[in-house]
Amino acid sequence: MDLDFTDSDRTFRDEVRTWLAEHVPREGRPTQRAAMRAFDLEWQRTQWDGGWAGISWPEEYGGRGLSLTEQLIWYEEYGRYDLPDIDARFVGISHAGPTLMARASDEQKAYHLPRILKGEVVWCQGFSEPDAGSDLASLRTRGHVDGDEMVISGQKIWTSYADIADWQELLVRTDPDVPKHKGITWIICDMHSPGIEIRPLETMEGESDFCEVFYNDVRLPLANVVGEIDDGWGVAMSTLAFERGTAFTLSQVQLSRIVEDLIDEARDRSAPDGRPLIRDEELARRLATARAEVASLRAMTYAAISRSRRQGSPGPEGSMLKLFFSDAAQRVYRLAFDIVGQDGLEYRSRSSAGGWSGKYLYSFSQSIGGGTSEIQRNIIGERVLGLPRG
Amino acid sequence: MDLLPSDEQQEIAAAAAAFLAKELPIDGVRARRHEKRAVDPEVWARCANLGWFGVGVGEANGGVGYGLVEEAILFREIGRGLAPGPFLATSLAVRAALQTGRIDLAGALMAGDCFAALGLPRDPDAAVEDPLYGAFDLIDDEGASVLLVAGPGGSALVDVSALGPVKRLVALDPASRLGRIDLTGAPATVLPHADAGALFERGTVLAAAILAGTAEAVRDQAAEHARTRVQFGRPIGVHQAIKHRCAEMALRCEAATSQVFFAAAAIDGDRADTGFQASSAKIVATNAAVDNARDNIQIHGGQGYTFGNDANLHLKHAHAVAATMAPLRWHLAHLLDLVPAE
Ligand SMILES: Cc1cc2nc3c(=O)[nH]c(=O)nc-3n(C[C@H](O)[C@H](O)[C@H](O)COP(=O)(O)OP(=O)(O)OC[C@H]3O[C@@H](n4cnc5c(N)ncnc54)[C@H](O)[C@@H]3O)c2cc1C
Repeated sequence: MDLDFTDSDRTFRDEVRTWLAEHVPREGRPTQRAAMRAFDLEWQRTQWDGGWAGISWPEEYGGRGLSLTEQLIWYEEYGRYDLPDIDARFVGISHAGPTLMARASDEQKAYHLPRILKGEVVWCQGFSEPDAGSDLASLRTRGHVDGDEMVISGQKIWTSYADIADWQELLVRTDPDVPKHKGITWIICDMHSPGIEIRPLETMEGESDFCEVFYNDVRLPLANVVGEIDDGWGVAMSTLAFERGTAFTLSQVQLSRIVEDLIDEARDRSAPDGRPLIRDEELARRLATARAEVASLRAMTYAAISRSRRQGSPGPEGSMLKLFFSDAAQRVYRLAFDIVGQDGLEYRSRSSAGGWSGKYLYSFSQSIGGGTSEIQRNIIGERVLGLPRG
Repeated sequence: MDLLPSDEQQEIAAAAAAFLAKELPIDGVRARRHEKRAVDPEVWARCANLGWFGVGVGEANGGVGYGLVEEAILFREIGRGLAPGPFLATSLAVRAALQTGRIDLAGALMAGDCFAALGLPRDPDAAVEDPLYGAFDLIDDEGASVLLVAGPGGSALVDVSALGPVKRLVALDPASRLGRIDLTGAPATVLPHADAGALFERGTVLAAAILAGTAEAVRDQAAEHARTRVQFGRPIGVHQAIKHRCAEMALRCEAATSQVFFAAAAIDGDRADTGFQASSAKIVATNAAVDNARDNIQIHGGQGYTFGNDANLHLKHAHAVAATMAPLRWHLAHLLDLVPAE
């Protein structure tokens, strides 16, 4: 056990640092949806051109073929700057990409993976339905085989970035007569197919990042099925494990920067009695706790990456990282909201300067999206600790 | 001793709840969020007809002649129904106007001919004097005639026409409108010290009553969802993760509402510990409203995170109300400085 990075790691870190310093996007992320899409893809393309896309992806798919350690270094350096969030690139880079690598056919991989890395496409995740959220396996959107096509009808909900996506990882019920975890198929859906209707939903933070998606006899080629028909649950689980695992590294590094920003805020702002807010014992204690928690979040990430390197894939411990992260993030943003005091009466979007109120509102999604905190606790209890299932 | 509402008081609550459900439904908060005024002026006039802005004002002065308890009962319903609008500011301004001899203004406010905005001093302890200086956040100031300032530093009325240009901001809470201003010597009608303190305490209890109502509304919304939302073939409320959360919400409501009534009855009964009771009410009710609103969002899953669901509106409104009548930090510090309760 050690914390030492090798000489080549250090060289790699220097290269990353130099490149990032020169390529920080000058403009902010637009809020208009088409412009936002263009911005996110452009930034991905810039990384591709610089040779930084898919650091830990195999070279045959356009990646660098390096290890998770280099990926970690990249995120650590990335998080030091106020760089664009992964946002609309998240599903492609951290979800669909890894799932395709694990389960897709050679043709599917060869077609899709380079496009994700080059910033040519946006992916979205069509898992949740109105009646299938935590109980994802009860999903009912139907897919039936017709010749060499799959015909889809039904509805998904909370699909982030569906309105600007090209492709979707879609879960459909292909056999309603078997136990619910069987009979599900994972299929690649072209979001421009006829019969798809998308309705954006406004979030409590004020953005319209997620949508309802309706499928009206949408025809997809059977060649788009990933894995076997009716075996989609297993495919989906490899994706979810990723979402709960190393995909958090960047968020974790960003959170540590936020905590440092907040400490600066608390030094700069003064309480009514004129003393800096950081002299307020309660706030000081909460800030110090936040620092410690964010430090241990990094330690947990290191442990998860080490484990992943030994075992080959993230285990149920990913749920611990996700739960600890979302709890810590919510505490940090609540603390931020308390520190800015009356300024918090004003709404400022989370991506704007001083957007503490928007960030606070956004933090409510952390314990819901990607599997709720209650579900993470169930997983930890049952799969990590072996407690009986409820 | 009896800390439960009487039959007559329960009727006040039921009538208010029925009126609010019909005239100021929570959907209106979303529908009117880009309007200058959070409440339709016609509905405001109907509230005035019901005597809502003079509940605690003596009949001789044109009010209804009830006490703070009845007023708190009304404000709890206002919180529960998330009725937007300057209810708190206007009710307090009536009292401030009467205490400073501005009888016409009090009458016009009670009649619904005009309304008051709240001025929240950026520094809650700053002295409120004539002329008035300092930075203020203004709640629901658009279209208001008069600004009410009520805080630990004193209480005053300031005519809106004397304010000068107000910087408009987007409010976190879609149920209120937000402005910001730096006053550089605005003429203010300042209340005598004792009256100002009493007004601040009344306002504190009424803000706490709104917050207790918020806590109750989201408790009910959460319990309803826990009973009816089915996942894994059973209502989510069968899980202790959800059931216990709901139970905690109920507990916070019980504490908050009881303390609000205790504080209101203490003021009506002229007890010596009114400041202690009022601050306690504000503290417990603020925590109940914000914590319950947070838990309600979580219990609603993805729906809870949408603007279209009521859960987020209650959270945002709770923060806006909590900022009035001095923030939590002030009450926490103040409560420790006071002598123990009677
Ligand atoms: C910002 C955001 C983005 C999202 N993006 C996507 C996306 O791109 N694609 C996608 O498919 N989905 C997405 N989701 C959906 C998300 O995965 C679901 O909201 C989540 O899984 C919860 O499902 P639900 O909303 O139906 O809540 P429910 O499952 O109805 O849960 C309601 C409450 O019950 C609790 N509960 C449920 N079952 C149990 C149990 N067994 N034990 C204890 N408590 C339980 C939950 O924890 C929650 O508190 C997103 C959600 C958010 C908030």
